Amino acid sequence: MTSNLLSIASSGARAAELALDITGQNISNASTDGYVRRSANMTEVASSSTWSTANDVSLSGVVVSGIVRNADSFLQSEARRTGSDTAQANTTVSGLTNVETAVEDSGVFTAIGTFTNSFKQLATDPADSSLRATVIQDGSTMTSAFRIAAQSLSAAQTGLQGNVGDGVTQVNSLSTQLATINTQLSATAAQATGTGDVTTSDRASLMDQRDSLLDQISQYANIATTVQADGSVNVNIGSVSGPPLVTGSSTNTLSATTNADGTETLAVGNASVALGGGSIAGNQASLTKLTQISTNLDSLASSIATTVNTQQANGADLTGATGTALFSGTTAATLAMTTSNGSAIATAAAGSAAKSSDPTNLTAMTAALATLDPSDTMNDILTDISGSVQSATTTQTTLQTLSSAASSSLSSQAGVDLNTEAINLVKFQQAFQASSKVMQTASTIFDSILNLTN
Amino acid sequence: MTITTSSSTSAFYTTAAQQLSSLQSQVNAVDNSISSGNQYATASANPEAAAQMRMLQLQDATAAVDTTTANKATTNLQLADSAMTEMVNDINKAKTLATQAANGTLSDTDRAAIGEQLSQIQTDMIGLANTSDANGNSLFGGGVSGNAYTTDASGKAVYGGAATSQSLGIGGGQSVQTSLTGPEVFDITDANGNSTTVMDAIGTLATALKAGGTAAQTAASDGITTLSNGLDAVTTAQTVIGARESWIALNTQNLTAQSTARTTAEGQIGGTDVSTAAIKLQQLTTALQASQSCFVRLSSLSLFNDIGN
Repeated sequence: MTSNLLSIASSGARAAELALDITGQNISNASTDGYVRRSANMTEVASSSTWSTANDVSLSGVVVSGIVRNADSFLQSEARRTGSDTAQANTTVSGLTNVETAVEDSGVFTAIGTFTNSFKQLATDPADSSLRATVIQDGSTMTSAFRIAAQSLSAAQTGLQGNVGDGVTQVNSLSTQLATINTQLSATAAQATGTGDVTTSDRASLMDQRDSLLDQISQYANIATTVQADGSVNVNIGSVSGPPLVTGSSTNTLSATTNADGTETLAVGNASVALGGGSIAGNQASLTKLTQISTNLDSLASSIATTVNTQQANGADLTGATGTALFSGTTAATLAMTTSNGSAIATAAAGSAAKSSDPTNLTAMTAALATLDPSDTMNDILTDISGSVQSATTTQTTLQTLSSAASSSLSSQAGVDLNTEAINLVKFQQAFQASSKVMQTASTIFDSILNLTN
Repeated sequence: MTITTSSSTSAFYTTAAQQLSSLQSQVNAVDNSISSGNQYATASANPEAAAQMRMLQLQDATAAVDTTTANKATTNLQLADSAMTEMVNDINKAKTLATQAANGTLSDTDRAAIGEQLSQIQTDMIGLANTSDANGNSLFGGGVSGNAYTTDASGKAVYGGAATSQSLGIGGGQSVQTSLTGPEVFDITDANGNSTTVMDAIGTLATALKAGGTAAQTAASDGITTLSNGLDAVTTAQTVIGARESWIALNTQNLTAQSTARTTAEGQIGGTDVSTAAIKLQQLTTALQASQSCFVRLSSLSLFNDIGN
C-alpha cells in the first residue's frame, strides 16, 4: 500500500507538472495568432487487481493521456467564412473608392458644364475672338479632364489586376504549405491515441498551423473545407462543389487570366472558379464596375465629340468656310481638340460671309448640346459609382459586425484568457504541492514502519 | 458596435482597439465636416445629395453666364432706347419745320432754307439708324457688321441688315431680342398711303421745299401728316424696347431669387449644421474619453497582480 501511495503521489506530481507546463505554454502564446488554448486531459489510472478479488481496492493515480486542443470546428469555419466575406467587402470598398476618386477628382463634370456654358456666352457676340478662344480653352480643359479620368481609371485597373495576381500567388503558396502540413498530419496520425480533440502536443501545433493557413487562404478566396479522420484537410475553392485546391498532400494551381475588357477570370486547371468571398473576389467585382464606368465615360466623350462635330459641319466658321470637326477621338483617353484657333467654331449659318455675327448655327449647337445634356449623363455616372461605393460600404459594415462577432466567439472559446490561466497556475501549483505532501506522508509512514523493526 | 462577453485576453484587446478606433474615426469625420463646411467628405457618403449638389453648382455656373447675357441685352436695349429718344427729337424738330413751311406767307427762299435744315435732320437720322451695338455691330441692322442703312444714288436710305434682330438667352429658358430692325422702326406710310421710311419722308420733304413753288407748300402739309406717322412708329418702337428692358429686369429678379433659393438648398443638402455637429463632436469625445478610461481600468485588472506574493 505505501509503495502504491508513493507512486500515486508521483503520478499526481507528474500530471500537475505537465499541467503547469501547458499553462505556461498558454500564457506565453496568449497573443499568438491562431494559437488554440490547450489543456491537459487527465485520466484516472485504475488498474484492476491481478487476482480479481471482490471489493479489492486498486488505485494507481493519474495520467495525462493527451492534450486537448479547445477548438470548436463550427466556430472556426464560421469565423473563416465571415472573415472571407469581410475581406471581399473591404477590397470591394477600397477598389470602388479608387474608381470613385479617379472619376470625381478628374473634374470632368465641372469641365463639361464650363464647356457648354462657354457656347452660351459666345452667343452674346458670336464674332468675338476672345469669347471664341474661351470656348476652345474650355473645350481643351474638358478633353484634359476626360484624359485624366481615363488615366486614373487605367491606373486603378492596373492596381486591381495586380492585386488579383498577388492574391492568386498567395493562394498557391499557402496551398503548397497546407499540403505539407497535411502530409505531416497524416504521418503522425498513428500517434493520436485519444479520441475527439485529445491529441499530442506536436499534432496540436500542426493543427494550429493548418487552421491558420486555412484562415489565410480564405482571406484571399472563399473555400470549403473537409477535415479527414487523420486531421488533414481537403480544400475546394469557391464553394463545396468548386474545383479542389488541396487534396491531401497534392495541390492544384489557381490561375488568373486578364480578359480583353480588363476584368479577371480565375481557373483551376480547366475548371473555372466563381468566387463568393475573399479579397480576390472583391478585386474582381471592382474591376467589373471599373470596366462599366470606363465604358460609360468613353461613350459620353464620344457623344460630345459627335454632337459638336456634326453641328460644326452644318455651319460656317469665322472665315466663311464650312465648319470642320472640333474634336478628334472616340474614347475618354483619346478625346482631343483638333484646333486651338477660335475662328474654327462654326457659329454662322452655312454659306454666311466671313466674320459673320449670325448666331444661327451657334443656337443650333447650344440646342444640340442641351438635348444631349452631357452634364446630366456625367452626373448619372458619378451617382452610379458613388452609389456603388455607398452600398458596398453598407455591406462592409454589416459583414464586419458579423465577422467580428464570429471571431470574438471563436476567440473566447479557443483563445487564452490570462485570468483563467492565473487560476490554473495556482490550482496546479497547489496540486503539485499536495502530491509532494502525499509523498512526504508515504515516506513518513514507511519510516515509522522501519522504526518498528529497530 | 459589438458587445461580446469575451473571456479571451487577446479578444479583449482586439475589441477594445476596434471600438476606440471606430470612435476616433467618427470624431475625425465630424471634425472634418465642421472645418470644411461640407457635411459629406466624399460623394459616396450620400450619392443622392452629391448628385443634387453637382446639379445645383452647375446651375450656379449657368446662372452666371445668363446674368452676363442679360446685362449685354440690357446694354443693347438701352443703346436703342437712347438712340430712339434722339430720333423722336429729330422728328419733332422736322415736324415743326414742316408746319412752318406749310404757312402760305413764306417765300420760296424761306422754304429752301427750311429744306436745308431738313436735309441736316435726314443725315442725322441716318446716322442714328446706323448706331452700333455693344459689340460694334449695327444696332438696328440685326447685328450685321457695318451699317444698317446706306444711301443710294437718289439719296434714299436702303436697309442692308438682317431680317430679325439678335436674340439672346437670358436664363430660365427665356430669350429676348436685344433691339429692333430698321424696317420695324422706320417703315411708315406717307400722307398718300405709299410706304416709305422716316428718313426718306424727311428727305423727300427737304427736296420739295428746296425746289420751291406751290408744290412746296403742298409737300409741307403732306409732310406734317407723314411725320406724325413717323413719330408714331418710332415712339411705338421705343415702347417695345422699354417693355423688353423691364422684362429682362423682371427675369433677372426671378433669377436672383432662384439663386438665393439654390444657395439655401446647397446649405441644407451639403452644408454642415455647425451646432448639431458641435454637439455630436462633444458627445463622441465624451464617449471616447469614457471608453479610454474604461480600457485603462479593465486592462489593469489582472489576477497576476494579486497572486504569487
